[in-house]
Amino acid sequence: MSTTEISEAGQHEGGGHHESPRERHKKEHMALWLFIGGDAVFFALEIFFWFYLRTLNVNGMWLGSACSKLNPCTDGLGNPITSPIAKASGIYTLAIAGLIIVSALFIWQAEIQARSGAHRKATTPLLGLAVLFCLAAIGLQIYQFQVLPFTTIDGAYASLFEFFMGSNLAHFLLVLVVATGLFNRSRIGKLEHSNWYQAHLGRLWAVWVAASATVLALIATFLA
Amino acid sequence: MSSEHHEEEEFHADKREQIAEQVEPFFEGGPIWKRPFFGVFIIWVVMTVIGVLIGLFVPVHVLDGSSSSQQDSVKLTIIVFTIVAAPVSGIVYGIAAYSLFKWNKRGSGKLDTPPEDGPALRGHGPATVIWLSVSIVLVVFLLFWGMMVLSSEGTPEGNAIRMQVVGQQWVWTFHYGSTDITSTQLVLPINRQVEFEVSSKDVTHGFWPVQLGVQVDANPGFTTTIAASPNKLGKFDVRCSQLCGLEHAYMQTTGRVVTEKQFVHWLAQKGASKQAIMNFTTDAK
Amino acid sequence: MTSTEVYLENTVLGPKAGGLYRHQNFATGLISGVVLGFVGWVIGQELLQGSNWGSDMTVTVTCVGWVLGFLLGMGAFNAVGRWILGRDEDHEDQLYGAGVGQGWTRYFKFCTDHKVVGIQYLVLVMTLFGAGGAMAMMIRTQLLSPHMNWLSPQSYNALVSIHGMVMIIATIIMVSGPFANFIMPIMIGAKDMAFPRLNALSFWTVVAAVPPILGSFFVGGVDSGWTTYAPLSVQSFPGQDMFAITICTFVVSVTVAGINTLVTVITMRAKGMTMGRLPIFVWGSIIAGGLGLYAMPAFLMAQSALITDRVVGTSMYAPAQGGAGWLYENCFWIMGHPEVYVILLPAAGALIEIASTFSRKPVFSYKAMVGAMLGIAGLAIMVWAHHMFTTGWAPTLANPFMLTTELISIPTGVLFLCMVGTIWRGNIWARLPMYFLYLFLWNFIIGGVTGIYLSDVPADQYFHGNMFVTAHFHFTLLGGAMIGAAGAVCYWFPKVSGRMLNERVGKWAFWLIAIGIQVTYYGQFLEGFEGMPRRVVNYNPLFQPANVMSTMGAYTLMAGWLILLYAIIHSWRNGVVAGPNPWHAKSLEWQTETPVPLENFLVDPVVTRDPYGYGEEAPDATQLTPEPVGAANVLLGNEEGVL
Repeated sequence: MSTTEISEAGQHEGGGHHESPRERHKKEHMALWLFIGGDAVFFALEIFFWFYLRTLNVNGMWLGSACSKLNPCTDGLGNPITSPIAKASGIYTLAIAGLIIVSALFIWQAEIQARSGAHRKATTPLLGLAVLFCLAAIGLQIYQFQVLPFTTIDGAYASLFEFFMGSNLAHFLLVLVVATGLFNRSRIGKLEHSNWYQAHLGRLWAVWVAASATVLALIATFLA
Repeated sequence: MSSEHHEEEEFHADKREQIAEQVEPFFEGGPIWKRPFFGVFIIWVVMTVIGVLIGLFVPVHVLDGSSSSQQDSVKLTIIVFTIVAAPVSGIVYGIAAYSLFKWNKRGSGKLDTPPEDGPALRGHGPATVIWLSVSIVLVVFLLFWGMMVLSSEGTPEGNAIRMQVVGQQWVWTFHYGSTDITSTQLVLPINRQVEFEVSSKDVTHGFWPVQLGVQVDANPGFTTTIAASPNKLGKFDVRCSQLCGLEHAYMQTTGRVVTEKQFVHWLAQKGASKQAIMNFTTDAK
Repeated sequence: MTSTEVYLENTVLGPKAGGLYRHQNFATGLISGVVLGFVGWVIGQELLQGSNWGSDMTVTVTCVGWVLGFLLGMGAFNAVGRWILGRDEDHEDQLYGAGVGQGWTRYFKFCTDHKVVGIQYLVLVMTLFGAGGAMAMMIRTQLLSPHMNWLSPQSYNALVSIHGMVMIIATIIMVSGPFANFIMPIMIGAKDMAFPRLNALSFWTVVAAVPPILGSFFVGGVDSGWTTYAPLSVQSFPGQDMFAITICTFVVSVTVAGINTLVTVITMRAKGMTMGRLPIFVWGSIIAGGLGLYAMPAFLMAQSALITDRVVGTSMYAPAQGGAGWLYENCFWIMGHPEVYVILLPAAGALIEIASTFSRKPVFSYKAMVGAMLGIAGLAIMVWAHHMFTTGWAPTLANPFMLTTELISIPTGVLFLCMVGTIWRGNIWARLPMYFLYLFLWNFIIGGVTGIYLSDVPADQYFHGNMFVTAHFHFTLLGGAMIGAAGAVCYWFPKVSGRMLNERVGKWAFWLIAIGIQVTYYGQFLEGFEGMPRRVVNYNPLFQPANVMSTMGAYTLMAGWLILLYAIIHSWRNGVVAGPNPWHAKSLEWQTETPVPLENFLVDPVVTRDPYGYGEEAPDATQLTPEPVGAANVLLGNEEGVL
């Protein structure tokens, strides 16, 4: 074949990456699991930080307060005050975890629907609810910052608690992006046929975020 | 398909036989100075001798003195490790260098064309096994060496004196235990183990009495311990080995190892009571 | 005309190909980054600046604004937006994204062609080495005299810290950036990486990450080393925040690149390219990618906790409020040790390719080589606390970590075995890449052996924190890995640039570099033996001769690198035009044309053997089918004359 023929053949072949949706799915699936693996390392370290500082209780300041061994305060009678801070209420923490779990479950249901060939009328509302619950989780998490009985400067427990909240926000935002995209794509009919796998990937991410956030919530509430 | 596979296998087996006949055997073949083994051996011997000589003479000359049994031990470790490393490096350099001397083909005069292919040796089981075994033996040796030294250093001695070291940007302060003497000077009695309890008031510093051959970080919020046994009178340097801010380079002082008598005298001069000094120096652990 | 040019000419792009993206490039990225950085500054100053927050908040939010703005302006997030909106790219958009029809401007855009990304990385790496190297020269010049007043302690500490981090960034990407991107997909017979847009993202993310750390000089610098131990780093100047943002940004790049490499190799190999026929370089790249994926989240954790400690007053690392400096150190070194193998393994892989090609022999014990790399990677995650022997943390763990550290010398030894075993009895073709292999062997033995000294806990009590450590890791990272990178550049130069590197000049550079390394770092070993600590702006006059020696070596080394740079630039523009396979090598990247076509191969290759068949079949046989069919003949230039 002459060079020109080759290049035309190549042109027909190439340009955009002509791979089947199944090949695409396999790659994206693998990539997502690798990413979750990396996030799992981060997650494991968050837990490591929590138990390290809790066990060491450096200077007695795990549940520190503005008054401590190093900065003693005294009450009116000259007696030293060393009371620890109040711990955060588990209600908000666990509610937030619950909200993101529900959001993930809606994505899961939407995936099941899409996989079995359901029309966009079935998947879209589910995904819309997933978006709403994710927004609620984010909103409640932001609100929790304001109702905490401590701030970041009040010792290691307070620091890590707020760090966990920040980590939640970052992860929930990513779920929100994914859920919004899935919702909109479902709405215009792009989640049908072989495109169900996009909901599958979204579900994997959302479930991972929900599971890890729940673990952090349980630790922060019951192992404070 | 399988008959093709079988043919391929036979093809490769034949090839392997051919190769085996082609290459010069490692140990035998011709006069001794022409055998590959010999060439490598010569280079190896030369490199080993150089390495051993370096190990025996260089560290002793450049290490800035030793004032404790720990530093003596470090010196010995450096010498021994260098001597052991010499034949190890020698064999790698020997094989690489000999290959270059013997088999460097200048591509039939023109640098643009490669030489013809070499023998298709894809491995050599015995060589790999020997290499691995020797590595393992060496590692076991290193490990035992290190563990033995470490365990012998760890044993606290009966008449050790215990003192506190505080690092603070950018000065070392020393507190002489129950005598309640605090000073920026470090004075130690000879031939007695001293246990340093080290801490910091601000950031992480590295308490490094150089010639005593020990060091430990000074961490804020924690106390770390290290023990040394000075065995030589004279001065030694105390430096900071962990970057601690602006004047890290200047966070140093000079310590002294003195006789027991001089040590007691110095403490008394600093204002310690006789009783306190006695408690401090005879405080059996 | 080459077939590539014909191909490009035959391709007609529609008027709107590329959409918004067709207006986005490096300039829009810069502008957008500056604008959003300014917005961040305003937000930080006006809205978030409470009485407690000081200026750390402002600096941090500004840097975040810069990074996001730059990437937005480059068009990095366009695909995300399009996906959410449901407006997927069509064929023409993808062609445009791959740089078709844009000539040289595609190097300044968010281009998805892995070959473009590879060259972009190469230029970035050389720039970073230039910056880091300039800092190194300033450091060494300051150390010529014990009480030199040229640099203040603050400037010196900042230089030492930023030199270290810039070099770490540069060495992490120096082989995997240019060559795991440009060469690796071709080597496995793929058309591109698995995620071309993520590939471009990983490059431009590093570009976004660099200005903060260089900018930190203007806000007081960083005075805690590249390791930024807490609690010192919690209290440092605002430059520390910029440093931390650089790290957090860079982590994203390495993570994404690692994922991309792994998925590409696992799923996109050509037909017949089994894992057992993978070139060793590819093994090195994927193992390093996996290690990076494990290590980088630890870096992110360590630095993000540092940011919160500095900006909002948390106390992960402040003992007064319940934190611990040791926590930082552990988290940091959990990253820090695997990270040096992320640096080393691709370089070692490239060197083995060189060993095989230039000895005209197969790799010695392919399985042992792969096993060695896996063993190194596996042990690498279990040794981190050997950096903490003298911290006083967990003295009972000293022995276990000494054990794991000394165990690493076993797979490393196997690596040496395979390298020298490949050379042994080969017909050595002493071209420039081979020179670098030999230098690596010399240097890495020294680096590895001195690591053994450090792994001995009692001896480490003398060596920790002194210049011996500095000399050790420069021998391994510079003398070892960077020399591997130099070898890789010289080896793949003809494929990437289409021209031959001027070897006469290259050899001058080589000898200056080789001698420079020895003089510089033997001087530093001497300093270490004599008891000179690291990171000191002035020192005891006792150390001066060793320091002068080291500085003289450093200038020699600098000269060598500059000459090599000159050779690279000059040859790229004016060198002898190279054929597709000047080294007569057998791996796939050499079986395609130079310049490499857009999708690497005009016909999908079918692999029948590994690339190490030297001496086993006809000399010109390659990794492809023994009888090239029709089009593949054209590929090799047989029909139209040898290229």
